Parts: sequence; structure tokens; C-alpha cells
Amino acid sequence: MADKAEFALSLEGINLYYGYVRALSDINLNVRPGECVALLGDNGAGKSTLLKVISGAHKPSHGVIKVHNKPVEFHSPRDSANAGIEMVYQDLALVDAQDTATNLLLGKEILRPGILGLLGFLDRKAMKEEAKREVAQLGVKIDTLTRPVEMLSGGQRQGVALARSAVRVAKKAEGILLLDEPTAALGYEQKVMVEQMIKRMVANNIAVVLVTHDLPLAFSTADRMVVLNRSRKVADVATKDTNNDEIVGWITGARATMENM
Amino acid sequence: MRKPDSLSLLIFTRSWGIVILFALLFGAFSIWGFPIFGTYVNFSLILGAASISTIFAASIAMGVFSGALDLSVPGTAALSGVVMIKLLQSGVPLWLDIIAALVVGALVGLFNAFFALRGLNPLAVTIGTLSVTSGLAAIVTNGPPLFGFTGLEFIGTNQYFGLPAPFMVVAIVYIVGTVFLTQTRGGARFLAAGGNAEALRRSGVNANLYRSMGFIISGTLAAVGGIVTAAYTTQASPMAATSALFSGLTAVALSGISLAGGRGSLPKVFVGSVVISEITSILNIKNIQPFWGTVITGALLIGALYLELTIQKQVSKRVVESKNAERQQNAIAADAAEAKKQEA
Repeated sequence: MADKAEFALSLEGINLYYGYVRALSDINLNVRPGECVALLGDNGAGKSTLLKVISGAHKPSHGVIKVHNKPVEFHSPRDSANAGIEMVYQDLALVDAQDTATNLLLGKEILRPGILGLLGFLDRKAMKEEAKREVAQLGVKIDTLTRPVEMLSGGQRQGVALARSAVRVAKKAEGILLLDEPTAALGYEQKVMVEQMIKRMVANNIAVVLVTHDLPLAFSTADRMVVLNRSRKVADVATKDTNNDEIVGWITGARATMENM
Repeated sequence: MRKPDSLSLLIFTRSWGIVILFALLFGAFSIWGFPIFGTYVNFSLILGAASISTIFAASIAMGVFSGALDLSVPGTAALSGVVMIKLLQSGVPLWLDIIAALVVGALVGLFNAFFALRGLNPLAVTIGTLSVTSGLAAIVTNGPPLFGFTGLEFIGTNQYFGLPAPFMVVAIVYIVGTVFLTQTRGGARFLAAGGNAEALRRSGVNANLYRSMGFIISGTLAAVGGIVTAAYTTQASPMAATSALFSGLTAVALSGISLAGGRGSLPKVFVGSVVISEITSILNIKNIQPFWGTVITGALLIGALYLELTIQKQVSKRVVESKNAERQQNAIAADAAEAKKQEA
């Protein structure tokens, strides 16, 4: 575990306006390396918007984002990726006609050694092996890596998308992984798989921000719960200090905002 | 067990249908057109006749693979051809003329890419470009086609191994293109740009670069088509040969892909192009009006796309079915896990 004072990601006073609508008001959030924070809230509470701010898709109107205590400014998802932040989107963004190995290694393909490599020739065999290794490391079950991903089931596609980001984030020292509803539309077995994958990432000292409606998943994986309600943060509590009823109370607004967060 | 079998049959049809169609037609026409059709001489005639439209098919195919249906191909070809011949006739060395023609093709592609990437409908943009380029071609020649030049026989009227010279150009284009698409990083990203540009962008790759490449390669290959057409017909016509567009598009559709992009194989496009030429040949041999060729090409285009759509729907239906079956199994597994928990 890294120094307690060192945050992988911290947001200070993040505000975002859409015209006159305040989508985020004064959000503070800290995530340590090796910590999973669940970002909870009802539809429209601002969870996804906050995730988009962290991933560089939206620029906050006010506020500071720090990655490993260094202030950063994101103009595009590429900037945040360069800072070590990877996001798994709800729409999985896979290339349907291509196989798992190609999808996993998109943008960081392995080239052949020598002159052929300089000419941009792919080392398909090495790519297949690398993909196999990465997929096995994450505990994803995929029958065949050479089948186009359009032929895979929903769970397996989710696995490929998760694995792609997870692998990238694991390569960087102390990366940050953002997950947007990773278990939406998944069956039981795949949910367990995603849960294990998140735990493995956390054990590898990755900072994870998990947006979800799936409270059991949040309770089983997150170290801390942050609840948003109508664009404001209403709770920020260690998972062991709270329970399902309290969290539901904050989500629905039945419970008063926490003090001293 | 029956269902997965019919699914793989459908996928097999999509993957290899064009090769089967080629073989079936060849067999049937050999009998119908006996003794002329099935000979080596006739086959080399078919390949020769197919070569120019095959180059245009490659041009359209490369565009389609990367998600860009480029309708300006015939205009680009005409403009490149007349620019080359005009320069040749003004005494500029031949190699420079050929390079100039290729540059014209690439620039037209860049022009298309510039507007299509800014969000204009690519079909509308490339139709506009078709009109612009064929107009410019006519301005270059002042109207009538350009005649009377020498030096281009090596890619035009010469013969190598009993095949007309344009076929050698076809071989080079298709071999280089196939190696690019299947073996290189650029090719993989090029196809990914056609399949899901957003996925490519999120992977930190400049997706717009690869999307532009589709238009530029398409334009450059259209220029190759224009050069070979001028060499083979020994004249450079400013008229855009739109029939090349139709047969090229049909060859792409026959290769078993939707026109949505992201997939495709050049060797199959080649076979598709030869199939169209096979049909033209038998019509010739049987003394049937050649207009039927145009009718059949159009019908094949629509038929092939319809078949592809049907197969695509079936495939996604089956994937959903298997997903549902998986979900049922999961529900059972969840119940079992729950029961175990309660026991403990």
C-alpha cells in the first residue's frame, strides 16, 4: 500500500454547468492506489457526468483534477489516457469483425522483428499469445481468441472490453481504471467474473472508480462508497461503516447529507 | 445440434459463396457455351476483359472496407488519365506523367476525406466530386478524347504469359493490397476504422488518419485504373465511365460483405469481378444483346446485398439465442449458489 497521503486521483471542487443547469456542484473525491471507490446514485444524479470529467470527455467549468498530486488538464480522452486513466464504456466499442486478440491489442499491436517490423508487419502469433496470457491473467473465459467478437456472447464481449482497459492500466505504474456499469445486462457467472477482475486490479495497486446500480457488486468490491444526489455529493463513507439501507437512503434522498466528509 | 449446423452453413455461404458461384457458373457456362467458353484462350480473354473493371473494384473495395463508399472513382480515373496524356503530349517524361496522375488521384481522395470527415454525407460529397472531376477532365481535353501517344504499351496493349498487360497491374494491386490488409498494422487499423472508428479512437489511435487513408487509397487506385484504361484503349476520354462504378460495386457486394465497412477480402472481390466478366463472356458467345449484362449486374448487386443482410440477421439472431440460453444457465447457477448459501 502506498503512502496514505498520496492519492492516485483527486478532484477538488469540480463544477460543471450545461448552460444554466448545474450538472455537478462542488464535488471532492479522492481515490488511493489500490482502492476501489463505488460511485452510486440514481439516474441523473451526475455519476456518469463525473466519470466523463475524469476521463477527459467533458471539461469541468471549475475545479481541479490531480493525478498523483499533480494538477492536470484534459482536453480529450487521449490526454487522460496519457495520464494513466483508462475507461471502460457502457457501449463496449469493440471492432465486431475482428478477433479477440486484435481487439485487445488495438493501438498497441506487436510487430515482427527486423525489416518486416519496420514495414509494419504484424506478428500475429505473438499477438495471439499475448492476448491469451492477458485474458488468462484476468480470469476471463473465452473459447477461441480467433473468432470475430461479433460471434461472442454478451458476457464474453464485456470480458474483452474490460480486459482491454484492464491490461492497459496494469501496464502503467499506479494506473486508474474507470468502470461505467460493468455488469449491466450480464448473467450471474459473468458478474462473478467481473467482480473477481475488479478485485484483482485493486490487489495490483490500481485505483478503481466504479459507477454502478448494482449494490451487491459495490458492497463486494468497493472500499468506499460515494453517493451523488442531484449533482451533489451526499455521502462518502467506508464500506465497512455503512449498510445497504443507509446507502439506499442517500441514493433516494431520504437520508440527510453526511457531515464531515 | 441442427441449429448451429445451419448457422455455420450460412456463415460458410457468406465466406465462400462467391467462389462457389464462380465455379458453378463456370461449369454451367462451359456446357452451355461448348466448345468455346471452357477453353484456356477464352478464360484468358475473360481475365483480360475483367482487368480494368477489377482495378476499379479494388478502388471501391478499399474505400468500402474503411467505411467510405467513394462514388467519385470514375471521375477521378478520367481526370487522372487525361492529365497524364496531356502531360505526355506536351513532352514531359512518361514516369513523371504517371506520378502526376497518381498524385491527382490521391489529392481527389484527400479532398473527399476533408469534407467527409467534417461530417458531410460521404455519398453526397463523392457524387459532387464525381461531377467536379469529370468536368475538369473535359476542360483539360477541351472536349474530345486525347489520341495518338506511345510509350504506355507496357501496361496497355502488350501481352505477358498470354495475358494482357493490365492483368499484371491487377496482380500487383491485389497482392500488395491483400498483404497490407491482412499482414500489417496499418491494414488492421484501416479495417478497424471502417468497423468502429470510435473503438480505434478510444484506443489512442488517430482514427481520422485511417479514415482519410480510405479515401486517399481509393482515389489513388482510381488513378491507376485511369492510367491503365488510357494505356489499354490508347485514348484518354474525359467521360467518366460510370459502368465501372456499377460493376466494381457489384464485385464488392458479391464478395459477401455489407457496404457498412470494417471487413472484406480483396481476393474475393477479384473473384466477384471475374464472375461479372464470365457473364459478359457467355452473353457474347451466345450472341445475346450485351444490354442484358447491365441488367444482370444491377440485379446481382441487389441480390448479393439482400443475401448478406439475411445472413447477418440470422447470425445476430443466433447469437442472441445462445446468449439467452447462457442467461438461463446463469439463472440456474445463481439459484444453486443461493441455495448453498442458505444451507451454510
